[in-house]
Order: sequence, then C-alpha cells, then structure tokens
Amino acid sequence: MKVSKNELTATLKKAFEALGFQSGDYYDAADMVVWLETHGFDGFDRLQAILTYLNTIGPVHADLVQEDEHHSMLDGKGTSILLCGSEAVDLISAQVIKGSWAALELTNCYNRTFILQRLVKAARRNLAFIAYWRQSDYCVKVSIVPGAELPEYQTFTMTGEFDSQSLRIFSGTDMAVIERQFAKELEFGEFLETVSAEDMQACYLDSVEQGIEIDEALWKTLNELVARVLVESTESSRAGAGD
Amino acid sequence: MHKDPHSSFESTDSNVKLLPLRPASQVMQLERLGSFHQSRLSFMRTLVRRMVAENWQITSPVFDLDDQGYGTVVYQVEAKHGTFSYVLFSHYLDPENRNDRVIANQWDLTMALCEGTVDTEQLEFLRANVPKQEAGRVDSRVLVLSRANRSARTFDYVVDELTQGRQPNVDVIAEVGYLYRTTAAYGSGKLGMADWEKVRTKHRDFARPFAAEMFTCYMLRHFSMQQADYLATQRSPETAVTLHQDIKRYLGIGNSTGLGMAPFLINHPLLINQWIEMRETALATAIVAGEAGVDKATMARLDMATERVIQHLGEIITADERQSNSNVVVREELQALHLWLQKQAADLAITHYVWADLIQYAEQHWHIETQEVINTMLIELYPDLVDSLEEQMGTEESQQITPEMLVSELLEIIEDKYDWALAIDFSKYESKGAFWYRSEEKMEPRLGQTNIDMGMEKEMPLGIGRLVRECYDLLQHYNTISPEQNVAHFIMQCPNHSGIVARIQTMAQSRYGDIRENLVHSDVLPIYLLRCKLSFFGVSKFDPRSRLWVRNTMFQGAPLISDFGNADIAADDWQFPIKPVMTSL
Repeated sequence: MKVSKNELTATLKKAFEALGFQSGDYYDAADMVVWLETHGFDGFDRLQAILTYLNTIGPVHADLVQEDEHHSMLDGKGTSILLCGSEAVDLISAQVIKGSWAALELTNCYNRTFILQRLVKAARRNLAFIAYWRQSDYCVKVSIVPGAELPEYQTFTMTGEFDSQSLRIFSGTDMAVIERQFAKELEFGEFLETVSAEDMQACYLDSVEQGIEIDEALWKTLNELVARVLVESTESSRAGAGD
Repeated sequence: MHKDPHSSFESTDSNVKLLPLRPASQVMQLERLGSFHQSRLSFMRTLVRRMVAENWQITSPVFDLDDQGYGTVVYQVEAKHGTFSYVLFSHYLDPENRNDRVIANQWDLTMALCEGTVDTEQLEFLRANVPKQEAGRVDSRVLVLSRANRSARTFDYVVDELTQGRQPNVDVIAEVGYLYRTTAAYGSGKLGMADWEKVRTKHRDFARPFAAEMFTCYMLRHFSMQQADYLATQRSPETAVTLHQDIKRYLGIGNSTGLGMAPFLINHPLLINQWIEMRETALATAIVAGEAGVDKATMARLDMATERVIQHLGEIITADERQSNSNVVVREELQALHLWLQKQAADLAITHYVWADLIQYAEQHWHIETQEVINTMLIELYPDLVDSLEEQMGTEESQQITPEMLVSELLEIIEDKYDWALAIDFSKYESKGAFWYRSEEKMEPRLGQTNIDMGMEKEMPLGIGRLVRECYDLLQHYNTISPEQNVAHFIMQCPNHSGIVARIQTMAQSRYGDIRENLVHSDVLPIYLLRCKLSFFGVSKFDPRSRLWVRNTMFQGAPLISDFGNADIAADDWQFPIKPVMTSL
C-alpha cells in the first residue's frame, strides 16, 4: 500500500510517542525514518529491525562520558540512533561553532544509517560533516558539505580496528578543515560502491509524486502502536468534544 | 494628538520602509486572535480573486443524478496552470443519521478534488473509497477529500419554492445562509492523498495554504445551487424557476468546526506566525497609507463598509449569549464610528495619522472585536498595497535546536519572549485544570478535566506555557550547578526537554511567536483558536454552539462561477455579506 509522507510522519510520531519517546525525540525519530525511506535507504526495514527492542526496553539516551574542546565521546548504552543521534549531532555542532572543528565518537549504538537525516539537517547551518561506521564486513562513509541538501554515501573495505557498534562523526566549518584536522582518521580501504545524489533525489521525487510504498503489516503494526496514545471514548469524553 | 500610538516602528525590508507593526504582546493574546475577521488575505478571498481574474473554466462532463438528486457529478476545472477534476457523489441519507460531528460515517455528499482528468477506472476507485471518507483510502492523484450534509431548514424549502415557480424568501435564507454544510475538508496527504509538498510544487493553482481545500468548499456551494435548480426542474418542468443570481451569490456553505482544528494552531506555530505577520503587515501598510491624509472617496468607502458590517452583524442569528451580546456591542460601537465619519470626514481627510488615531481611539474606548473589525475594514481600503502579501502566507516549518547557545542566554530569551508563560501560577489547580487528548474515535482531539476525565497519562503536549515553565525551572537549576554550559549539554542532561527547547529557540526568531495563553487552564476558550484559524480561511457569521465548536458560513456573498471573467462584477467586494434587496422577483 502507499501512504503519503505527511500521514507517515504523523503516524510515526504517534507510534514513537506510544513507545515512550518525548516530543523532541519523536519528531526527530519520525523525520529520520521518513528521510531514509524516501531517499532509498530502507528506512522501514531498519525501523522494523528495532521496533521489538524499542517496545521492550523503552527510550534510552546516550551518556556523555568524556569531552574536551574538540573531542567528545558518548556511550550509546545499546540504544538506537533514533534516540541518541540528535544529541550527538547537536553536541558536535556546538563544538564546531565554537572551535571550527570537532570529532565525536558514539559507542555501543545501533541503526547508524539513521544519522544521515540529522547530518543533512545540521549541514544547513553551514557545517560540514563526515561520519563513518562499520557495517558487517565493510565501512560506510557519509559526507556532507555545508548547506548541501544531500550527502555523499560511499562504502569501503575494512581497514584496521573498528568497533562494530561505534559511530564516528567529524565536523568542521568546511570540508577542508575536516580533512586537514583528521587526515589520519579518514583513511579508508578500497572503494566498493556509492549511492549517487541523483538516485537519492529520484527516489525522493517519486515518493512526492506517487506516495511511499509501505508493507501493510508494518502499517498495521504502527497503527496498533498509535492506538496506545488514544483514549477510550465515553459519553463523558464526547462532552469534551462539544456534544 | 497626531503622535504615533505604537511604541515600535520596525523595518520589514531592506528599503527601510518603516511599518508600525503591533507588538506580539498585544496581537498574540488569545481573545484578540479569537476576534479576528475575514480579511483580503484570507484564503477564500485570495482564491476567489484568482479564479475570477484568471477566468477558470468549469464544466460538468458527468452530471448523472436521478430524480431525487442522487448520483455522480464530475466537474472539470481548467485553471490557469492545470486541469483538475472535482468528483462528487450524492447519496440518500436517513435524516436520523445526519450528523455534523467528525465521528459521523454517512453523509449526503462526499467529494474529491483530483489532479488531471478522471477516467472510468479512477472514477470507480473513487466511488469505492470517497463515500467512506476516513474508512477508505485514496491515492496521490487526490488533493482533497470532503463531505457535506444538507441543511434541514433550507434545502427542501428552496427546492419547493423553485418547483412552484417562486424565489425563496430571502429572510428564510438569511437565517441559515446555505443549502449544505461541510463537516470536513481533508488535504495535505491524509488518507493517502497528495502531500502539501506535491501540491505546492506541482500545482501552482493551489500553491497557497488551504487553497485546494477552500476550492473544494467553493465547488460544493456551486453544486448545492445547481442541484436545487435541477431538482425543481425534475419535479415540475413547467412551473420551475431557477434561483435568482443575487440569491445564489448570497448563499454560502455552512461549516461546523470543532476541536480538531485547535491543535493545528499549536502544532504549526511558524505558519500561524506567518499568517499573523502578513495580516499585521497589511494593517500597518494601511496605517502608513493614512499618514498622508485620506481622500473623501476612501472615507466614504470606510463609511459604507461600516454600515454594511452593522447590517451584517444584525442579520446574524445566534443562540450563544456571549456572541450575541458581542454583536450588539460591536454594532453600537460601529454606529459611533459611522457618526464620527459622517461628522468629521471632511476634516479628517486632510489630517495626518488618520488611521493611527482611529485605531488608538478604538483601543482606548471600544471592545476588542470592534477594534479587529475596524482593522480588517482598513486593510480592505488598500487592495493595491496589501494584496501582494497573499503570496507570502506560506513558510517552511522546521524547528531546530541552536545547540551552541549558552543556557544563560536561553534563560534570558524565555524571560523576554515567554514572560506571559512565566507569569502563570501553575501551582493553582485551575492553571492545570484541563488537558488535551486524542480520542479513539477517529483520533478526535478532545478537552478533558484534570483528575476527572480519563486519559491524562496520554495528554497531548499543547500546554506550551506549562512546558516552557517546566523547562525554565530545569534550565535555572542546571545553570546554577553548571554555569557557562550550552544548550547541547543541557539536552544531554535533560533529553526529554529537547522538543520545547527547539520550539523556544525557533519561535524566538519569529516576530509574533507563540499564542500567549495557558491552553490547559480550566476556563480556556478553545473557540478563540477555532475563530482565529477560520478568520484566515475567510469564513463569516460566527455562531458558537459551545466553547468547543462553532458554526459559520463560507463563501457567502462570493461571486459565482458564471461571474468568472466578468469585469462588471465586483468580484472582491463580498466581505461581511448582507441580505440582497430583491425588487423584481
């Protein structure tokens, strides 16, 4: 079945609310899922993979464990980027605005692809970002220049030691600053493949024109979650609507 | 006396054109917002101006009604930039099942506005889904889904009169004002429809807020009169007459609006700020235009408008005591304005700051609703100066945290922009005596009483004042123990408050900001929220049925489709509609 972006976003917000997310978090999480799905990054599959966890554990946020002027480290405590991605990007953005460049490592976190939407949004404030993480036996690198609407998404072969559930984010006032400050940390293996900006844009425009295809079972699951934030209707409650 | 009454003159563009915009502390009071009336920038007005000027062509390639008026109609709309189809299904509805509430599941009419033309296959798809409304699904070719119910008081009466060769009594029409009431017009991607982004970027004819929804209601109005004429002819072809054009223009579409509209205003603060800023810019533009003096013709137009509003308000029938009393008071105060204009128009015509003085006088002596009626009449006087603002009624809605901001700076912002929220004593029971929630019945928003009604644990976060207060207290505590930290660090410590922080930081950059009211107070009047939004839609004849819902009339007095492209028709002179004088029936 097809849904519109607006109704998908509204449904996701309420579903995340049902899972215990607070208002800032459920807005951000809904935007992350919708962005990935509408730009060809399987947002629904990634959401489905984490729903059971979220339903069982509830919202967990990252802790700030270490910080200096240009570096910070967060412990994700096994949570999803849907819950800690915004905090991480806000923290590194604040550091860059103060000091031109910064690096952040977020350990023990899941669903790292969702970080794309947060980086795209933060890049509107004229900040550049590079993020990378290990995805099974390869490495994903995401880059976005200041003000860009779309990121560059590439994969490489693994080199060196990579914590399997970490995410590293580097940011600067422009891309040259990042590459200059973090040349050593930004050495990657053999290039494997990329998702072009044209493909992302085409996927997005198709979703605007045609709507977004969603598995009926997932839509049903989301609406079952939504039902949790609804209140039983009684004669008394109808009075609260004007009857 | 000729001193500017407004404390701040602010520049709105790089041309250093100073406009006396009213301050947020005045404009964003809920009672004032709930006293707004239709203006030139209201969405119905801008839509009608566009349709008339661009001479949209509307035909009905399918008009398949039976002798009871039930069946299918497809109107084809050739607008300036594209073709659209308005598909309508007319059904038999047992009068006992006629219900205007959002929870209803049967209606007299159901409609869909679609892009392009509609082929047989799509028509069958629509026939299977549109009558179900929320229980059905449509697709991205559909822009708006809507439904309507007949007026039990007027529809049969009008058809009977026409059947017998008579025009209906205008006094009877005036009591109601319409043949059908619309109970919902859904757009913006609901139920699988096209997203606003698609409408905005692909369909320039409807690329303004709510333009497609308003058009759907306008076409309902057209159908309602066409159906009445059709039924009369079906019943008695020999004797039947068609509705007089002046009566048709006086007929609008009824509307019932309940709490469903209220959360929209709270959840779209940037859009509401934009609407209000444009309206205030229009008012300030009118004030500036009056600084150099006002000619006699303009004075005469204001005087005529005043008389028309007095008559319009006198023709409203409402059982709501507060609204009824308000209408009486506004009429009395406008009568004073009328006399003032009669006596002093000649002198005023050469006086500077005419409108500024008038507004100042009204603020000092007259009620808020009178003040806002006057403001909307002043805007009406300067179409050449204000109409271009209609292109700026939309805005991108994105709230964003400014993480590098010092906590101390955020505290100062709250003290400056949200002083109204900090002034509320939330330790009092009544300050938290109400809560908003979504019912399982079609997710209808409802207002509950704290500790009495069920559902507090599922409260919607619409009490912005309370959320700001809670956040402020936490920020103060955090700033005491961790001075010199920024907002990013605060969010790391208090992640559950990221939403309200984003809102505060975003809205602080807007001119008007949030609505200044405690929306969880026991005595909150949601009807003010509804009236505010409806005024931007362009409705008239507010008839509150309780503090939670209001009846009103859409497009009453507006030009007809047959008027499109007709230069002789005063296409945009239909504010505050009054009964037509029928001399030759």
